[in-house]
Amino acid sequence: MSQYALEVSSLTKQIGKKTIVDNVSFKVEKGEIFGLLGPNGAGKTTIIRMIVSLINRTGGTVTINGYNLDDSFKLAMNELGAIVENPEFYKYLSGYKNLRHYKRMALADISEERISEVTRLVGLENAIHDKVRTYSLGMRQRLGVAQAILHNPSILILDEPTNGLDPQGIREFRDYLRELASQGTSVLVSSHLLSEMQLMCDRFAIIESGKLIHIASMHDEKETLTSRIEFEVSAIDAAVELIRQHFAEFEISRISGNKLSILAPREKVPLLNSMFVKNEIDVFQIQTVKATLEDRFLEITNREKKEQNL
Amino acid sequence: MIDLIQNELMKIFGKMAGWLFMVVVVLAVLIAGIIYLKVEGPEDPNWRQGIETEISNLESQLEQAPDEEGRWIEDQINELQLYLDQNINPDATSNWHFMNDVVTGVGSLVTLFVVIICSSNVAAEFSDGTIKQLLIRPHKRWSILLSKYAATIIYALMMVAVLVISGYLVGLLLFGSGDFSMRIFEVTLEGRMEAQVGPLFFKKIFLYLPGLLMIMTIAFMLSTLFKSQALAVGIGIFVLFFSSTLGGIILMLADKYTWAKYLIFPHLDLTVYALEEQIMEGITMPFSLAVLGIYYVIFISLTFSFFQKRDISI
Repeated sequence: MSQYALEVSSLTKQIGKKTIVDNVSFKVEKGEIFGLLGPNGAGKTTIIRMIVSLINRTGGTVTINGYNLDDSFKLAMNELGAIVENPEFYKYLSGYKNLRHYKRMALADISEERISEVTRLVGLENAIHDKVRTYSLGMRQRLGVAQAILHNPSILILDEPTNGLDPQGIREFRDYLRELASQGTSVLVSSHLLSEMQLMCDRFAIIESGKLIHIASMHDEKETLTSRIEFEVSAIDAAVELIRQHFAEFEISRISGNKLSILAPREKVPLLNSMFVKNEIDVFQIQTVKATLEDRFLEITNREKKEQNL
Repeated sequence: MIDLIQNELMKIFGKMAGWLFMVVVVLAVLIAGIIYLKVEGPEDPNWRQGIETEISNLESQLEQAPDEEGRWIEDQINELQLYLDQNINPDATSNWHFMNDVVTGVGSLVTLFVVIICSSNVAAEFSDGTIKQLLIRPHKRWSILLSKYAATIIYALMMVAVLVISGYLVGLLLFGSGDFSMRIFEVTLEGRMEAQVGPLFFKKIFLYLPGLLMIMTIAFMLSTLFKSQALAVGIGIFVLFFSSTLGGIILMLADKYTWAKYLIFPHLDLTVYALEEQIMEGITMPFSLAVLGIYYVIFISLTFSFFQKRDISI
């Protein structure tokens, strides 16, 4: 038994001379939901496909619950469950037969009770004997979860799992993941939907152009994050001028005739307020807009770009 | 491995086509049987008299006929005389005659269906995207592919069994139980060959199997290599229906160029060896089997080594 559900080190994929994934390393702890964020084409899917051994690695190792994919392939693969992109099934078979299909492929024996248990967990007990052809996308997604957790894997790997789900479905899906994680199953999830990741993940890694450029815990992020603060003031030009003079590092943008938003640490709010008041600018409203991962993401990726340009 | 094969069989029979093709084979045998019954008519118990009158008719014609035609009529008389001498009724019908004449012909329908099932079994995994879910299991890729191959071989054998059994039952129903070891003449390139009808049928079916396996393997290879069912089925059908034509052309070439006899086409249909010793000078059954064996090893190793390495990025 290993401390980590998944260890990825120096993962690299080259196709021809192009490097699609460049020396990516990260570890996923037990019971953790770990996100891979990045724009489309950043290499998230390639990383995931290398982990589940759908595509060959050019370099690097993958260890799943202590089993190395190269040395003990079968044991390692038995520790993972996955949905790669859309959950695809044999549509001409019933949901139950699809599950039986994957049950037969597991290393250990899976009981009939386990199948019905998993079916109940994803709420498909009424439709499990219908052909998958008749399922809605949400139901297929749930059947996808069922086949992925059927053999009690240490880690669940999901590639863009909320693609095409409606808000209700996304919410249900998130609840399943939370429930699973609370039972000790780790989850590795990729997405380009940042707001979605924010609600789902404990930690995340940002991938851009095949490189891992940032790893952080959601909780750290919340504390150190600069916030977006909106001020409604009587004289907007004077207010902007004042901030430029005293806090040149803050980013300012005008929202409307008398509203501006400032990117600043939350603790600076009283200081800004008293500064406006002292300079005879009336303040009607102060509002802290919760910093989103999206801002953080753009901040980090922009910083990267600036550094590259320098 | 047995679990994996069970899965593949479940997928083959989960689709309508798996069953439908079996029903179509039974229907084809039944229709062929009814046509055979209409064409052949009931057996004439006084067939010897019939032939004797035919011979005397021909003999009277022979007296007036010119030289060219005369030789031809003479040949015919000799043939008919052979039937009389050997006591073989040329128009005899029994369930075994039906099996030997007609049911073996329905074999190409079986090949066609097996090619379709075989190529869709692999190609559909790619087109449906299920290959992704299939290959992230604790099984080596080669064993998953092998299970698919084994399942389609089992399906092919089941189809052959359906063919033989339905042929026997339809024959029994329409023509009654005949003499298994009744002697017949069959026309071949080497002239008239005498054989026993029942054993000849089983010999033909047995010799049909290697060709079926080869065409199936070609379809399996193509659908694995190109992920395209249309291509695999298309080439499979091409090989099925043109191999005899191509084989004939290649045999003509083989007179001039020795390498031509190592091409696969003349060897795909081994049923000719049921009666003949060799297709042409130097091409005997062991030779054909050796050529097929070499192609088989090449096809299988190409299929498996390619599948083992390929990146699944659909």
